[in-house]
Amino acid sequence: MFSRAFVYFAYLLKTSDRYTDIKGFFYDLLENPDSKRKSYFDIFMICLVMLSVFFLVYSVEHDLNETGEFFEQGVVFVFISEYLLRAWLYSDSHRIIIEEYEKAQYLNAHFSLFSTLRKVIAKKLEYMFSLFAIIDLLAILPSYRPLRILRILLIFRLFKLFRYSNSIKVFSDVLSSKRFELITLAIFMGFLVFISSIAIYLFENNSSGGNIQDLYDAFYWSIVTISTVGYGDITPQTFGGRLVTVTLILTGLGVLSFFTSIIVAAFNDKMHVLRENRTYAELSRYKSFIIICGFGRVGQEIAKQFDNVNQAFIVIDKDENNVFLAKQKHYLSIQDDASKNSVLINAGINRGATSVLCATGNDVTNVYVTLTSRHLNPEIQIISRANRQDNVNKLFQAGADHVIQPFEIAGLLAAEYVGQPVAFEAILGILQEQKQIQMETLTVHAGSLLCKMQIGEVGFKDRKLTLVGVISSDKKHQKHRNRYKVKNQHFYFNPEAHFELQQQDILVVIGREYSIEHFQDQIEKSRLQLGRN
Amino acid sequence: MKKIAVFGYNRLSFEAISRLDKSSHDILIIETDPALAATAEDKGFSTADIDFRSDEDLKSIGIGSTIDIIFCFLPEDSKNVFLTISARAIDPSLDIIAIVDDPQSAEKLIAAGANKIIDPYQICGQKIHELIKKPDITNIIDHTVFGRHDLHMAEVVIPEDSYLENTFTSDLTLNEHHNLVLIGIVDKELGDELHFAIGENDHKIDAGDIMVVLGPSREINAFKKEVAHVSTDKI
Repeated sequence: MFSRAFVYFAYLLKTSDRYTDIKGFFYDLLENPDSKRKSYFDIFMICLVMLSVFFLVYSVEHDLNETGEFFEQGVVFVFISEYLLRAWLYSDSHRIIIEEYEKAQYLNAHFSLFSTLRKVIAKKLEYMFSLFAIIDLLAILPSYRPLRILRILLIFRLFKLFRYSNSIKVFSDVLSSKRFELITLAIFMGFLVFISSIAIYLFENNSSGGNIQDLYDAFYWSIVTISTVGYGDITPQTFGGRLVTVTLILTGLGVLSFFTSIIVAAFNDKMHVLRENRTYAELSRYKSFIIICGFGRVGQEIAKQFDNVNQAFIVIDKDENNVFLAKQKHYLSIQDDASKNSVLINAGINRGATSVLCATGNDVTNVYVTLTSRHLNPEIQIISRANRQDNVNKLFQAGADHVIQPFEIAGLLAAEYVGQPVAFEAILGILQEQKQIQMETLTVHAGSLLCKMQIGEVGFKDRKLTLVGVISSDKKHQKHRNRYKVKNQHFYFNPEAHFELQQQDILVVIGREYSIEHFQDQIEKSRLQLGRN
Repeated sequence: MKKIAVFGYNRLSFEAISRLDKSSHDILIIETDPALAATAEDKGFSTADIDFRSDEDLKSIGIGSTIDIIFCFLPEDSKNVFLTISARAIDPSLDIIAIVDDPQSAEKLIAAGANKIIDPYQICGQKIHELIKKPDITNIIDHTVFGRHDLHMAEVVIPEDSYLENTFTSDLTLNEHHNLVLIGIVDKELGDELHFAIGENDHKIDAGDIMVVLGPSREINAFKKEVAHVSTDKI
């Protein structure tokens, strides 16, 4: 009966959207590393800890007034809530209950509430014995009056700071990567300290005329000497003692430099990864961005263009010099092989990337990167550069949406320049948007003023725009002349005055930037007004 | 008939040459690598093997006399600069088109006297950027102007005594009468600059002005004939 109520309650929690929402909210606040809320919360907690430690230091010599006491209680309340919330978030108890219950049902066995609850509690205890949870607890306990003697433990509040920044994690990662070297060094140092402690004790004990009282003194002296600190509170008096000191100092220098070099090397090795993580973290702030593979001349040009229009992008290149160049220009960049799945996944091909551009000068690489990207994300837009005509089809086969051939375009422009220099300037001008003249598209939305309007009525001339044509997939237009197939749509060049615009048609116009924008605004407004009526 | 000397036979020059109208252009390829020269000859081009560093050699193929245009498509920027300087010194009116590898060389080429610099990588980068920003426009330009469909951008020079003389661009209504879209006009009264026809200023058409129109080639040719009127059809 009792266990039934428990299981019922567990199911109730599982189906409750509200419960899930609340838990999700606190997860974002406390644990989710990608959430904005957590970063605000972390900053708030850091300030709180600093303030409370300030009060602690202040109270060493002064008496706290009422406000101080009140603040202290508030801090403790926040800490306790945080501790409990984290314990709550650590595991989903109702899930454990349901799991156990369903297992019992399936096996036709008896559902034991007792063993289930034990599992639930075990899970929570697992949390309570984790390092951070212990620190949290130690930061709270001394505030409890009967435990006032433990006031010194309030220093643990400072350790809490580590929770709110990941520097400690980075540091321990770096150290653990050199575990073998560090252990070797520690064993060697242990022997050294042991031998020197014994030796100095034998030479410098009181009966031999030295200052060493006991083995603890010897150990203390060894550590002070080996670390080259040398306070000088205990100094060797005998010849033997001095000999031991000289040897220990020399070995100490060696040990210290060895230790330093290990740490430096570890950081050096990890620096690359750390920087990369930094890049990824920065990238994750953008909702949509573009991946540029290859930072050669073409890649640089694309990056420059994107940078001008504040389009977010990330550069991936294998070559150290190219990445250095990208870094100099403050572009987000990773030095790695873009044909590796992991690199593209880390760069966010499934999380925010809208396009992949393969711009390397090597067609083999381009095909491979295209193939990898298409495999990882069937939806993404892939534009690839082909340096040889024969490889264009291979790139399409690999899954590229568009293939660009630099030499073809350049050759074509050269030929155009020879034949018709003025037309060439016009094309180039439109392509490069010189003199604020643009070729732009305007979409005919349902309900906007353009819908069902005839071309003759739009009055392009008064709007200082030139209509080039209409892109449409609407079948109603098919009787019109000047129809050109472009992908799966048709482009109607220079439509006649009685051409009636339909929904989702796209007008292609040439004009100054602001006349296009103005027209676009009018279309948008007309659409909104209609929606209101 | 224009005579063009192409220095360096590579994919870029091949693309450029194959886009040129063979009937109105006489093309000579200068290539020192015998293997490349042989492939060019296989494709039916005439080739010459000269040292571009020597003025005598340059003159021997007709620079300064018969050649109208040179393409400097050599693989190294420094060589292109040298070639440009030499050719410009021989013939001040020569049309020189050069490719550039490193963007910093572009200024040097201009200083050396090149008329037009083409940076394939820059254009490629721009194209990719366009593709992402304005996919529809880029598709249309690709499919029409860059040749896969019968839609071209062409320039029409107004000859002397054309019936269009003294008319205004606003009265032209090319789109209704000729099925052409007027993109822009070079009004010689205002200099050599191209003015886009976006209804801002009205231009009076005189002899020597150049109109840039977009349309099917049949209509363009018909319009050219009509403009010429005096039947001196020149391209």
